[in-house]
Amino acid sequence: MDALSLAVSVAMDAVLVTLVLAMAALGLALIYGLIGVINLGHGAMLTIGAYVTWATTHAGIPFAAAVILAALAVALIGLAFEHFVVRHFYDQPFETLLITWGFFMITTEVIKIIFGTTMHPVTSPVTTPLDLGIAVLPAYRVLVAGISLTLIFLVAAVFYRTGLGVQIRAVIQNREVAGLMGVNIGRMYKLVFVVGCGLAGLAGGLLAPILSVGPYMGNIYLVRSFFVVIMGGVGQILGGTIVGSFLIGGSETIFALFSSQVFAQTIVFGLAIVVLRFRPHGILNRR
Amino acid sequence: MTGAGGQPRRASLVLLKRLAGSESGIAIPVFVFLAALPLFGSGYTVFILPQYMLYGVLALSLGLFWGFAGILSFGQSAFFALGAYTIGLSMKLGWGGGIVDSGYLGLILAVTFAAALAAVVGFFLFSVGIRDTYFVIITIELSIIAQQVAITQSQITGGGNGMFIDRMALNLGPIGSYSLEGDLAIYYFVLPFPVIIYFALRWLVGSKFGKVLIGIRENEDRLLSLGLNTSLYKTAAFALSGALAGLAGALYATHASFIAPSLGGVLFSTEVVVWVAIGGRTSLLGALLGGILVAWISTYLSAITPEYWQLVLGVLFVVVIVYFKGGVAGAVSRAIRARRALALNDG
Amino acid sequence: MPCRAQSGHDVHWRSTMADILRIEGLTKTFRGLVANQDIAFALAPGTMRCIIGPNGAGKTTFISMISGHQRSDSGTIRFKGQDITRRSVVQRAQMGIARKFQTPSVFENLSVFQNVELAVLGTRRPAAARGARIREVLDLVRMGELADEEVNSLSHGQKQWLEIGLLIGNDAELLLLDEPTAGMTAEETHATGGLIRRLTRDLKLSAIIIEHDIHFVRDLQAPVTVLHLGRVLVEGAFAEIERNEEVRNVYLGEE
Repeated sequence: MDALSLAVSVAMDAVLVTLVLAMAALGLALIYGLIGVINLGHGAMLTIGAYVTWATTHAGIPFAAAVILAALAVALIGLAFEHFVVRHFYDQPFETLLITWGFFMITTEVIKIIFGTTMHPVTSPVTTPLDLGIAVLPAYRVLVAGISLTLIFLVAAVFYRTGLGVQIRAVIQNREVAGLMGVNIGRMYKLVFVVGCGLAGLAGGLLAPILSVGPYMGNIYLVRSFFVVIMGGVGQILGGTIVGSFLIGGSETIFALFSSQVFAQTIVFGLAIVVLRFRPHGILNRR
Repeated sequence: MTGAGGQPRRASLVLLKRLAGSESGIAIPVFVFLAALPLFGSGYTVFILPQYMLYGVLALSLGLFWGFAGILSFGQSAFFALGAYTIGLSMKLGWGGGIVDSGYLGLILAVTFAAALAAVVGFFLFSVGIRDTYFVIITIELSIIAQQVAITQSQITGGGNGMFIDRMALNLGPIGSYSLEGDLAIYYFVLPFPVIIYFALRWLVGSKFGKVLIGIRENEDRLLSLGLNTSLYKTAAFALSGALAGLAGALYATHASFIAPSLGGVLFSTEVVVWVAIGGRTSLLGALLGGILVAWISTYLSAITPEYWQLVLGVLFVVVIVYFKGGVAGAVSRAIRARRALALNDG
Repeated sequence: MPCRAQSGHDVHWRSTMADILRIEGLTKTFRGLVANQDIAFALAPGTMRCIIGPNGAGKTTFISMISGHQRSDSGTIRFKGQDITRRSVVQRAQMGIARKFQTPSVFENLSVFQNVELAVLGTRRPAAARGARIREVLDLVRMGELADEEVNSLSHGQKQWLEIGLLIGNDAELLLLDEPTAGMTAEETHATGGLIRRLTRDLKLSAIIIEHDIHFVRDLQAPVTVLHLGRVLVEGAFAEIERNEEVRNVYLGEE
């Protein structure tokens, strides 16, 4: 391969990885970025979405519907979790952290009990590669990347351009005043939490054909998603998620050219810690 | 203090009563029990217990930091693994060149490296005021990195296949060298560690250092305004916590004779958090016993019903966090205080 | 004490060389909003100064820049003759500046004794002398009998006094008190005035007090600095300030 093809190929790869990671992190960008819930169960939510997708496609339901079902299922689980447990701990970040980790522990075991521990492959709905001349791309990942971008813009549009978005932003900026102005704070939090869970479930479903479905698959994205949100800047839905995903995901792809995948990941994580130390509010946030 | 008839109670009785109600009152019998256990315990118990005692030390390393400085670390396993691999390498590669016993050297280096890593990371983060939840996420990171390094640097660490380690010998110089191959020998070699560390930490908590740590937990901003450089204290506490975890790891390695990268991963770090949460984070004894007992029961029940036990553990964990912040130790001390208050009222 | 109105022009102060606190040209802007503009300020050791002014005048920002919780954009702060403008909160506290916050910042879950103990641990006193010093401080703030009480069982007024106790226990030389009588009863307010007077008169501590309670300010009989819209409007004895036309307008305009 000549240099140009290689460069284009790497660039495309980086873009795809970035957007796939952004898809996985979007749910957390809402839950952690907006309402400050340190959801260590985020990975588990991805996993549940993947399993629901696998189970339903196995039962013959078409892929697109299966993914939507996955989103709804996780959203519902999230609703129950929020209503009965999480909403009592919104002001206690440590407790939230531990409880959501407990959620991960419990759901992972339930999954293992129901589905066993073996990995299940999910066939991707689109298999013919996309031939763009200069590079050949895996079509499914392009699809996921496209969906990811669409969803990010959709969420950002709701957040920045609708009345609902204004209410949510008001609640985040100043809870007391928003409440006095008639915004139902509890409902806003619930909404954001549930939508975040739904997005995680959706992501899990979409990711199922890419990674094999296993009890711990979602956790690969757990820490990365946190770094994406933190680096991009808490609260920066649009730019932050994309920039953060590029820094964490895209750069890993580039480093992986020079070393093993695992080593590249270690480097990126190490760098992330260093960057975090110097810019704790993220790249896009002003102090 | 006078009794009903106006007679002064004997000082020893008073002391005994105070001891009985205090943490030492429970700790000392526990240690005596552990010391006597080989006399009546099964062979397997004597063989396996040192490992759990070392898990107890690992739990103490977290209990000190989380319970007293109020900072949660999901990274203890990284130091544990660092300690384990350090002694492994020392013994495998014969560090010390015959002049210094490679087992001892490995132990000392394990503690040093772990402390150094913790000090560097701690200072790096605390000096900028990285706190609370960011710190948790970064320590999760640390565990992941530790595991990755252990897996990828397979020429050094044996990678995913793990590393076999010899049992170190108790080298007493001119007196001679005692083999620690026997179960009994290593049992009594390991036992003093949790005991001494426990009492040393008890002392530390009552000292100026310990009080400042508690102050950091309670209201760090206030302490800053009182002229105390809290990031130095936090770094020192984290370094100590790392050192203890590294020590536990090194001793564990030479006892278990086999180590693997999973010792450094997030899942193991989480187990430590679960032990301390259930045992009781604000009590050193709670953390110690949490490490020993929860780990022991866990391994035992895991062998029988792995998924169901983990499920129960998960639920128990959540219940403890939601309702019993102080863990078992907290609940017990509350019960003791309630009984004492009742007794005083009846008086 | 000289009474000069500042309007951004250079004013030469007849302050003594031994001022414990000397501030010049202090400015702080928050995203376009000027919180403090070119403030000059001097405080002689062992004296009190009250800072009053309508809401938004920049009083708390001013105090924050003295304690080090906020960095000034420009200007210098000299404490005991040394330039502390770039020093951290911890460094300034070690030099002898201590701050009492608007909402009491104490160790709620610890006992009164343990609270003062932490303050004393922040000093260089040897371990053997600490116990006695803690008791001394507790007596000063009349909390000797409450030593073993948990702080969250104290009343709001008691917590305020405890916090002042922390400052004393910390061997502070300059006390920055942000609304020390907020939420106190009339009795407690009066007692607080007495306490502060004792601290400055007997212990030779210096104090800057932000207050909204005009009666308390009058009671203290201390010189007053009036801040308005980030600038020093006027300074002088309370009696003069009370009669000052500009000050009345500023406060009346508020109503």
